[in-house]
Amino acid sequence: MTQPFSTTQATKDAFGGGTERHVPYWIERFLDGWAIYRKNVIGRIGVVLLCLFALMAAVSYIPQWVNPIYNPMTGVDPQISYSTGPSFRHWLGTDNIGRDLFSQLLAGARVAFIVGITSALISILFGTTIGMVAGYYGKRTDLILMRFADMVMVMPTLLVVLILSALFGQLNIWVIVVMIALFRWPGVARVIRSQTMSLRHRPFVEAAIVAGASRFRILFRHILPNVMPLALLYMTFRVTSAIIIEAALAFLGFGDPGTVSWGMMLQWVWKTGHMFQAPYWLLPPGICISLITMAFYMTGRAMDDVLDPRLREEEIKR
Amino acid sequence: MKTPVSMLTMSDVTKVYRVKDSLLGGAGRDVVALDRFSMTINAGEIYGLVGESGSGKTTVSRLIVGLEPADGGDIRFDGTKVMGLKGRRRKNFTKQVQVIFQDPYQSLNTHFSIFETVCEPLVIHGIGDRQFRRARVCEILDTTGLTPPETYLNRYPHQLSGGQRQRVAIARAMVLEPRFLIADEPTSMLDALISFQIFRLLNHLRESFGVAILFITHSLAAARNLCDRVGVLYRGQLVEQGTAEETIMNPLHPYTKALLDAHPRFGSSRQKAYGVLRETERPIPDVDHCPFYPRCNPAMDNICNESTPTLKYLDSGRKVSCFLF
Ligand SMILES: Nc1ncnc2c1ncn2[C@@H]1O[C@H](COP(=O)(O)OP(=O)(O)O)[C@@H](O)[C@H]1O
Ligand SMILES: [Mg+2]
Repeated sequence: MTQPFSTTQATKDAFGGGTERHVPYWIERFLDGWAIYRKNVIGRIGVVLLCLFALMAAVSYIPQWVNPIYNPMTGVDPQISYSTGPSFRHWLGTDNIGRDLFSQLLAGARVAFIVGITSALISILFGTTIGMVAGYYGKRTDLILMRFADMVMVMPTLLVVLILSALFGQLNIWVIVVMIALFRWPGVARVIRSQTMSLRHRPFVEAAIVAGASRFRILFRHILPNVMPLALLYMTFRVTSAIIIEAALAFLGFGDPGTVSWGMMLQWVWKTGHMFQAPYWLLPPGICISLITMAFYMTGRAMDDVLDPRLREEEIKR
Repeated sequence: MKTPVSMLTMSDVTKVYRVKDSLLGGAGRDVVALDRFSMTINAGEIYGLVGESGSGKTTVSRLIVGLEPADGGDIRFDGTKVMGLKGRRRKNFTKQVQVIFQDPYQSLNTHFSIFETVCEPLVIHGIGDRQFRRARVCEILDTTGLTPPETYLNRYPHQLSGGQRQRVAIARAMVLEPRFLIADEPTSMLDALISFQIFRLLNHLRESFGVAILFITHSLAAARNLCDRVGVLYRGQLVEQGTAEETIMNPLHPYTKALLDAHPRFGSSRQKAYGVLRETERPIPDVDHCPFYPRCNPAMDNICNESTPTLKYLDSGRKVSCFLF
């Protein structure tokens, strides 16, 4: 049997006294994983793109701080009352009431991250918990939870959210985030469930049961750290779908009018009839939406490549 | 010698696994892992359960600690039923009965440091404060031969060798000072020298803590080394039981003899092998029969293939399940 500890084996014998700190296992695993990840070209492109978008989100506060007329929502250039093309004063031009498009684009990156990551986090939280409980408890609990998951899974998220916002009027961005999350957990739950079912009979879990550990302890101290990488992988895919759904909602006119997202920008181009007159207005948010979803997707695929041989290796060891 | 006090008794325990053959197969197949199995383990003794792989040894240990429900029979620890224990009583039971699993590469959580691993039972049972726990963990690591203990506390399982991992597993099992320890083939993944050290450690634990040990193994040599009494398991049935010395030097049941024949080290001290195993197996009879009948050379036709033998108590205090006695 080849074991990964062969490298530490040599140093072990020369091990001196004293309480030396050792890095937690998950950090070591992360670094191992990163070493594999780095070799993946698609993954590298994904990470570079994500860094660029994160940079955009980070600097999105600067324009309005330089001059209030650059505020993406409320700042209006007093000299401009119609949509203008790129200039030195407005790098990407302005919209029809003289708001700066570049600062809107930056703010859109921030909103995309917030929407994507929060909603993905919430759905992962739900999906992981429900998946672990279903997989560990089995029997009736499993049956009920998974039927419920199936029901949620087959509901078209966009349509349901559209109907709800038609019913309740304009929705706050956080309501949208939570709604997206509530519809996107079943896929995660299924994957985590099957992983939990295979972990449940592993000797280290049984050792904990024999030691008298509570179910709570087994689920959250023993099983959770082992399903975490898979949950994180799924999170990247959930970010992608959350961003797309939010953009679609906003473009269809059901977004939060108080936020400047890329979907809102597209909606404004459309509503003010600049669709074919102002490519400098239409293209940047469109391209950004495509690129950021692609970037998250590419990161996820590359992470999948890192995890897959590991999962397989663990299956074999079992 | 003191009269033995029985601690764990299993009487007529049966376990049947239902195996689903395929999606279309429907009914599936039943595997009888234990067939009316009885055994008594006394306080402070080391009892060796010997049998080839698949004979049901692991099933015995899983049933005792409740990882699997039994289909029939009775398991008692200190006179109380252990099957279906719940809540506080189960917790109390887990404090007294611990298991060392076969594979030290699988039985430790890779995300737990050695300190967290060994300390976990203390945390679960709410014993001691931080300082006490640390001292206790160091003490037990020291006892199990992981010295100096401080250097192990913050390490992780993948940084240890197989033998060291098994010692960690033993430390974890012993940290609550249980009265009964089950060791399920604890050395089958380790090399001979390390195995020998682990045997010595188990013996040491028995001597210093008085813990009774159910030592599960496929090797009669290991059992003879370590155990006071042995039981031989064949296809889920106990076929022979007696003191380790007697059973191995003077086996009664043909299956025990066959196991000894399979041992090259033992063959050398004897002139000839017992030769109890048939070259070609007999067809399996349709009616009740001795489970060993198809492979047994000295089996008697019209007896061994017509009913199942039961355990007989011999005058010497031994038990054997065979029509030849
Ligand atoms: N979970 C299970 N499902 C179905 N059959 C099992 C299961 N566990 C064990 N068995 C069967 O029960 C028998 C005894 O197994 P086990 O107790 O593991 O034997 P040993 O430990 O002596 O090798 C074997 O035939 C095995 O195939
Ligand atoms: Mg076994």
